[in-house]
Amino acid sequence: MAEARVLVLDADEERAQSLRALLQFIDYAPVVQESCGGLATSGAKPADWVAVIVGKVLDESALNGFVDWLKRDHLHPPLLVLPEHQANATTRFDLHESACIALEMPLKYAQLNELLKRAGLTRMEREVLDTVASKGPTGNSSAVRRVRRMIEQVASFDTTVLITGESGTGKEVVARAIHAQSRRKDKPFVAVNCGAIPSELLESELFGHEKGAFTGAINSRKGRFELADGGTLFLDEVGDMSLPMQVKILRVLQERSFERVGGIKSQRCDVRVVAATHRNLEDAIVKGSFREDLYYRLNVFPIETPPMRDRLEDLPLLIDDLIGQLERASRGSVRLSAETVNVLRGYHWPGNVRELSNLVERLAVLHPGAVVRPQDLPSRYKPAGFEAAEVAAESSIERGFARSDRPIVSEIRVLDLLGTQSRPEPVLPPAGVDLKDHIEHIEASLIKQALAQSGGVVAHAAKLLNTRRTTLVEKLRKYGLQREDAEVGYANEA
Amino acid sequence: MNAEVVTFRTLLIDDNEAFLTLAMHLLKTNPRIEIIGRGYTGFDAVRLAESLKPDLILMDLSMPGMGGLQATRLIKAQDVPPIIFIASHHNDAEHREHSARAGADGFLSKQDFDLTIDGLLDQVNQEMAHG
Repeated sequence: MAEARVLVLDADEERAQSLRALLQFIDYAPVVQESCGGLATSGAKPADWVAVIVGKVLDESALNGFVDWLKRDHLHPPLLVLPEHQANATTRFDLHESACIALEMPLKYAQLNELLKRAGLTRMEREVLDTVASKGPTGNSSAVRRVRRMIEQVASFDTTVLITGESGTGKEVVARAIHAQSRRKDKPFVAVNCGAIPSELLESELFGHEKGAFTGAINSRKGRFELADGGTLFLDEVGDMSLPMQVKILRVLQERSFERVGGIKSQRCDVRVVAATHRNLEDAIVKGSFREDLYYRLNVFPIETPPMRDRLEDLPLLIDDLIGQLERASRGSVRLSAETVNVLRGYHWPGNVRELSNLVERLAVLHPGAVVRPQDLPSRYKPAGFEAAEVAAESSIERGFARSDRPIVSEIRVLDLLGTQSRPEPVLPPAGVDLKDHIEHIEASLIKQALAQSGGVVAHAAKLLNTRRTTLVEKLRKYGLQREDAEVGYANEA
Repeated sequence: MNAEVVTFRTLLIDDNEAFLTLAMHLLKTNPRIEIIGRGYTGFDAVRLAESLKPDLILMDLSMPGMGGLQATRLIKAQDVPPIIFIASHHNDAEHREHSARAGADGFLSKQDFDLTIDGLLDQVNQEMAHG
């Protein structure tokens, strides 16, 4: 949830209008009220607002009750208090100072913008904490038990850890579990996604900057290394880092010191580094996009997170865990029938646990509180021919199967439909294969067949391949497939 | 392969009507963008992504009811999900990281999204095609 609404409680009409105009200017949706009476019983939720600005309120006596109601939600918005409440606000409302902030008058665009940005980020961070377990990966499969053992082995030392694994396999869960089981557990765990931050911003994010270091650096600022002091710094997607940044990280790992951007003073840092990537760093070294010396510095204790397809027996536990997280965060609930879980066991899960998490959240929103049946799943999770078989099975049931027989009948049908037994098993030649070439050959061949079957219409071919049209166009470029193989463009697809 | 322009059938989602109008105006001259719909909340995004099957969604991060991050997670669980770019007034590392965590394919600043959208489309499309 990322909320754009700001509740303004202010009976000072002129000031309320200024606030409304300023909030709209900085892309927020103001909701202005003179009184807070009735808000708590109007069906509103505290999390409906990113912040509450408190000015002159007509029913002062109701204000305490309103704030008590807000506080019942652990994701409640902060109060930004105007001068009439600033003298004793934290005591009066019994709020931590980070949740009760004085708003300066006259109103300043920069201050209001910064406070609202911080309020939004705080909420997003709390939501992350609600959904990322620090107890480690969920499940009892041998792959997960092995990861848990490795976490236990390494947690109590300050060893640098490199977590590898496909996207969505829960690398951050592993990093948080290492931190939670280490002697640093009461100090900060700071994560940074090196792939999501443009390279020109990353240095300042990691090391901080001094005032005036670059255009826009109006104040000095701590970087993530400083914020993580005494704790753990999680460098996620470290394989996406530029070569110049890799040099700087290598230096910190070797010398345990750094300088802020624009600064000359070296700062010592006591930080345990846990890095992660979905990329094959050994390949990246060969291609020249990753430094070998940094790789060996990071890869002191490697942990590989297993893909979902190798731990399908964990699926029921993972689903329960994900539903529990949604319920604890008041983000809805849902149940999956045994038959649905069986269908999901047949899926290949390219997006791993993150994909499962997205699916469960989607089902909780689209089928709140209901029991999800296989037919309620998006098509990609159902085996080929499932819909047709569903119709046939429904007919069988109508012909006289008792209701209680249904799960067993369905389970057998679903297992038959998974079709993995009927797919010919590829045979590895004695001399081996070049896996990448082999897979590309298969991919190009299937694309050609799909295009032929769809008369060269890319959109239809994309549907047959269950891929995006734009992705298919890129793949056509990659394989040098020519115009006669495919017609691109909407006029042809119409 | 020929050099024909690939058009992205695009959905715009933002609770700010003025931004939607501006975005439609600025993107209409971009030959790669064909606006096929618009919505005002994350709920609209989920519904329209399912019914219109766009190639690309350009979506605000903060919206009343359901924001862009939750909508991104839900849309990414649909069949053949579109590319999703989150647009925000706050152009900083933390907002970019939250967008990436939700599964968005890219992040655009609302200050210059019309100038940076092409580069981001090229980057994402190539990453998807080349694995």
